[in-house]
Amino acid sequence: MLQNRRDFLRGLVSISAGAIALAFDTPAQADTQAARTAPSTHRWGMVVDVAKCIGCQACTVACIHENAVPEDNFRTIVSTYEVHEGERTDAYMLARLCNHCEKPACIPVCPVGATFQRADGVVLVDGERCVGCAYCVQACPYDARFINPVTNKADKCTFCAHRLDAGLLPACVETCVGGARIFGDLRDPQSSVRRLLAEHQGEIKVLKPEQGTVPQVFYLGLDPRFAGKVDGEAALWRPSHQEA
Amino acid sequence: MTDNTRRQILKVAAAGGGLAAFGAGFSHTAERIADHVLGREPAQDALSGRSLQPEFHVDPQSGELHVNPEQQISYTACIGCTTLCGVRVRIDKASGRVLRVAGNPYSPLSAQAPLPMKTSVRDSYVSLSRAGERGLAGRSTACGRGNAVIEQMYSPYRVLTPMKRVGPRHSGQWQPISIEQLIREVCEGGDLFGEGHVDGLAALRDLKTPIDAERPELGARVNQVGLFFSVQDGRESLARRFIQQAYGSINIVNHGAYCGGAYRSGSGAVFGDLKKMPHAKPDYTHAEFILFIGTAPGNAGNPFKQQGTQIARARTDGGLNYVVVDPVLTHADNLAARDRGRWVPIKPGTDGALAMALMRWLFDHQRFDRHFLEQPNQNVAEASGEAAWCNATHLIVTEPKHPRQGRFLRASDLGLALPDGAERYGEQDAFVVAAADGTLLAHDAASEAAQLFVDASFEVNGQPLKLASSLQLLREAAFEQSIEQYSAICGIPVETLAGLAHELSNHGKHAAVSAQGGMMAGNGFYNAWSVLTLNTLLGNLNVKGGTFVNGGAFRYDGPGPRYDLESFDGALKPKGIPLARNVPYEKSSEFRSKQAAGQPYPAQAPWYPNAPGLGSEWLPAMFNGYPYPLKALILWSANPLYGVPGLAGQVHAAIADPKRLPLLIAIDPFINETSAYADYIVPDALLYESWGWAAPWGGVPTKATTARWPVVEPRADKMADGQPIGMESFLITLAKTLGLPGFGAAALRDTDGNPYPLDRAEDWYLRAGANVAFAGKQAAPDASDDDLQLSGVERLRPQLEATLKPDEWRKVACIYSRGGRYQPQSEAYSGEWNSNRFTRPLQVYNETIGCARDSMTGQRLRGVPCWSAPHFADGTPLRARYTEQDWPLQLISYKSPLLNSYAIGASRLRGLHPENPVAMHPDDAARLGIAHGDFIEIETPDGHARSRVAVRYGVQRGVLAIEHGYGHRELGARAHRIGEHSQPEDARLAAGINLNDLGLRDPTRAGYSVWMDPIAGTAVRQGIPARARKAAA
Repeated sequence: MLQNRRDFLRGLVSISAGAIALAFDTPAQADTQAARTAPSTHRWGMVVDVAKCIGCQACTVACIHENAVPEDNFRTIVSTYEVHEGERTDAYMLARLCNHCEKPACIPVCPVGATFQRADGVVLVDGERCVGCAYCVQACPYDARFINPVTNKADKCTFCAHRLDAGLLPACVETCVGGARIFGDLRDPQSSVRRLLAEHQGEIKVLKPEQGTVPQVFYLGLDPRFAGKVDGEAALWRPSHQEA
Repeated sequence: MTDNTRRQILKVAAAGGGLAAFGAGFSHTAERIADHVLGREPAQDALSGRSLQPEFHVDPQSGELHVNPEQQISYTACIGCTTLCGVRVRIDKASGRVLRVAGNPYSPLSAQAPLPMKTSVRDSYVSLSRAGERGLAGRSTACGRGNAVIEQMYSPYRVLTPMKRVGPRHSGQWQPISIEQLIREVCEGGDLFGEGHVDGLAALRDLKTPIDAERPELGARVNQVGLFFSVQDGRESLARRFIQQAYGSINIVNHGAYCGGAYRSGSGAVFGDLKKMPHAKPDYTHAEFILFIGTAPGNAGNPFKQQGTQIARARTDGGLNYVVVDPVLTHADNLAARDRGRWVPIKPGTDGALAMALMRWLFDHQRFDRHFLEQPNQNVAEASGEAAWCNATHLIVTEPKHPRQGRFLRASDLGLALPDGAERYGEQDAFVVAAADGTLLAHDAASEAAQLFVDASFEVNGQPLKLASSLQLLREAAFEQSIEQYSAICGIPVETLAGLAHELSNHGKHAAVSAQGGMMAGNGFYNAWSVLTLNTLLGNLNVKGGTFVNGGAFRYDGPGPRYDLESFDGALKPKGIPLARNVPYEKSSEFRSKQAAGQPYPAQAPWYPNAPGLGSEWLPAMFNGYPYPLKALILWSANPLYGVPGLAGQVHAAIADPKRLPLLIAIDPFINETSAYADYIVPDALLYESWGWAAPWGGVPTKATTARWPVVEPRADKMADGQPIGMESFLITLAKTLGLPGFGAAALRDTDGNPYPLDRAEDWYLRAGANVAFAGKQAAPDASDDDLQLSGVERLRPQLEATLKPDEWRKVACIYSRGGRYQPQSEAYSGEWNSNRFTRPLQVYNETIGCARDSMTGQRLRGVPCWSAPHFADGTPLRARYTEQDWPLQLISYKSPLLNSYAIGASRLRGLHPENPVAMHPDDAARLGIAHGDFIEIETPDGHARSRVAVRYGVQRGVLAIEHGYGHRELGARAHRIGEHSQPEDARLAAGINLNDLGLRDPTRAGYSVWMDPIAGTAVRQGIPARARKAAA
């Protein structure tokens, strides 16, 4: 009854090779605004090994503290599901964050040029320009953005750019209990992320590939039913301020 | 109504449904733009917003470290749950506030690949960075709760000043008082509340007058003062020294009997020690198959986080397959791991039937580890390649009516000479086995395997004597029911039972069974014993890939290699019957007088000779006055009214009545459901403010001691001499005020007999640190100046140098700088065996149990694991009293990966998971006309509650599963008034329900009682009979 966990993936339709454009194949388009960009030899990306996630939300809470994320908002979270099929019921956990897409849908819609991409692939919001119009929030196919109720700016995961620039790892990666979040330089063929992508070629998936955004957060063990809008009953969660 | 063709996906409430991001909306766009125009709250940094400044910079090429001078990183321990992980705490130096917490890379409870002690603190920081991707392999983590609980330190509900109640108990009104006044009043007593005279702790310390002259075995009146603490968090030795050795009372207890005590007791039966209750954990990394029964790796358990890390790795990169048997599906399983991990639902409280079915199959198919079981002693076992041994071959007297019936046959029974000075039937009187040729010989004289299945009459000293081997008795117990009957009891199909047994027996010693808190049923002891005996049949103890006991600690208390923290001049050895009666009833005056009257049984209420101290029984015992009432109770962060099922509803009037319990003192950083009744509350240190030396509870094969020290200034008020008010300063000052031995000047001695004071917490913990540093063959290394600076231990340097000797202080500083002392992980194994092995025999037959009588029924207990249905104290089966017809459902409790019994105040956890809807199977929901999100009224024989429902396939039919940690009435759920200040009202802290409010009293007992396992004395929370109906929204 027990087989290798990688086996089952072969039975599923994986995304056609072309759909997963890896950022290291095509150098990122450098942002032309010199004040906000610098050349980089890196292209940061993440692999989420779903089967290693235990849904403990360490990433979620570490991110909240690291980035002062206001209540009822999340730059990252692990959505937790129960899946019932035939006689079998399982839990499923899916870490979600900004995909730091190679073709971000959020950038072209920004009327003031606040959202931009660094040469190392990190998609950021320039808070001095952002007017909080939320076009980017609506444009993001991943619902990864929100308007921060404290700053009134568009807000989202930055891959902890401030930590990367200090030679450190993103907060969520540092504290991932299951070791599900693997982070690194997609341009470095020796990096863990590159090795994982090579090792599991054909099994690696991204969320909503049909959107053409070319996400650079990759999933190993992504059940296709969860790649897009999840068809299920909602949890009973409500924002804290509506509680009790 | 199960629809086999339809896929159902349900977002369960463990986290994040309709979120602002990742799902919901952005409804206030226009308003936001307006706010921007008005310029409200600009971001601090254009790109990083309000993110923290990094704690250090590491050059990715050279690995050079530059620390942020505004922040401090220190390694210490978390107390966000009982695992007590090693963590790294990031502090803003200017404000002294904790900014964030992650894992300590030296700690085996937190790090994937713990660093050796010789690694400098500097290099440990670099190991966390992205330089060379070291931070990925060297990841050291804190869990979601560990990340979140820092908020508790700054909670508006914290008690920071000593307080005295205003008005009656539980009024919610307090008067802040000085610690000096508090200590004076509790020592001297008097008319403290205008309610009449209250004896103080000085008057109550009567070491001579018996509580009851007719029952002298109860001990002196001093026993009527008790101390009830929560967790062994590395501080309890000082509390024990105070209440037992200095004050002289026998009564100290913790929360184990309403935590996972049934598991520990069952394990104690296997390991042959029912008081210390050793236990083993599976080796996740090397095992090929693990069967988890009533425990959920990655969801809860201890060590929660380490098990999460290990199960995640083992089911992916490693070679582990596993099955979790539990009435409720939790995070222990992940669909992405497919068949590597599976969930199998079971009926509550029937784990023993499952285990006995698996045993029966193993016996039927000859698939037990015969080679392991048939070794008669340790030497022969080891010589034959076995890493452990057991008493499967040892013979028991089964001759009916024989005075030794149920006892092991001993060498002296064969007429063999005892070693000089040895006592008959004592430890050196060997057991007896039957050799292959049928001759009887002392187990330690056997030089080869003995007979495994013996059931015959032998001639012993010329008399025929019926004897049976331990394994024979176990097999008989397993054969009492067919696999089909066991299947009907536990609700697991016969094929699944056979599949599990086959799988378990298909990996040699690289398969294991694990259990924990799910054993807390009305038959928890036998369930746990049965489940854990499967490991004995697999012969997997001490083997890589099997099971192992903890590697132990570098002990801090006790006689110690540098300071004697155990004995002192004038130390008392308390005597008498402990409050929970965890001693033999047969030694009581009550037994003797009833025996004289011809009917020794039943006792007035149950006794628990084979259990440790029982916090579950303390309040019923003291309010029944059986064995005696208490005059004063010190609660130290304990919360039995929240934690013991069925208790609060019964005792709230009694505990509110000063005539029933004249003095109630709490030491607590918060006001919990129990300390809310206190007369006085003494604030305590919280999390990273506190001292302690903690050992892992389980799961660490190497020696490990985690160091906790105040990496931030404690927030509570100070004593007159500047010490922060907390458990230590309170008890030390109390002891000195009462003139107790063992505290104050010259209370401690080093190994040369030189005296040292015990006036402050540091006097204790730093010297304890010297014991940790010098424990074992080699002392800990010295800290460098760089270690001191980088780790923040420099702040402790003046105290270290003033308190310790020149050859000690840098070693202790080294341990603090690394957050503990840890044996290298490379020393975990010697070849294929664990290095730290449990070498006493595992008990297939447990003589202590087998010769004990139930104090209520007078019946002998079974000395081997067996299926025993849940019942009440007088033997009445649960379902005879509360029938399935009247009470068709059963409640179970399950642990949350986020909340625990004291984390509700962490708003960011609540934000992820604000309440705990009760899980109900769709078939039950359909029958009751209930839809996902509806409300139901739940009724049990002794309680009722209204709750929202989550309709889930991930729960056994007939079960309502309630996540623990909600339904609070205190800890912020009620706003208290302290002096002129009112705590904020926040109803969110009262969200959800608490299963323990629905627990049962024992209907067969008189007076106050809670339903407990009859042997382990542990409170029952699994399998509470209930019914439910739809409620108005």
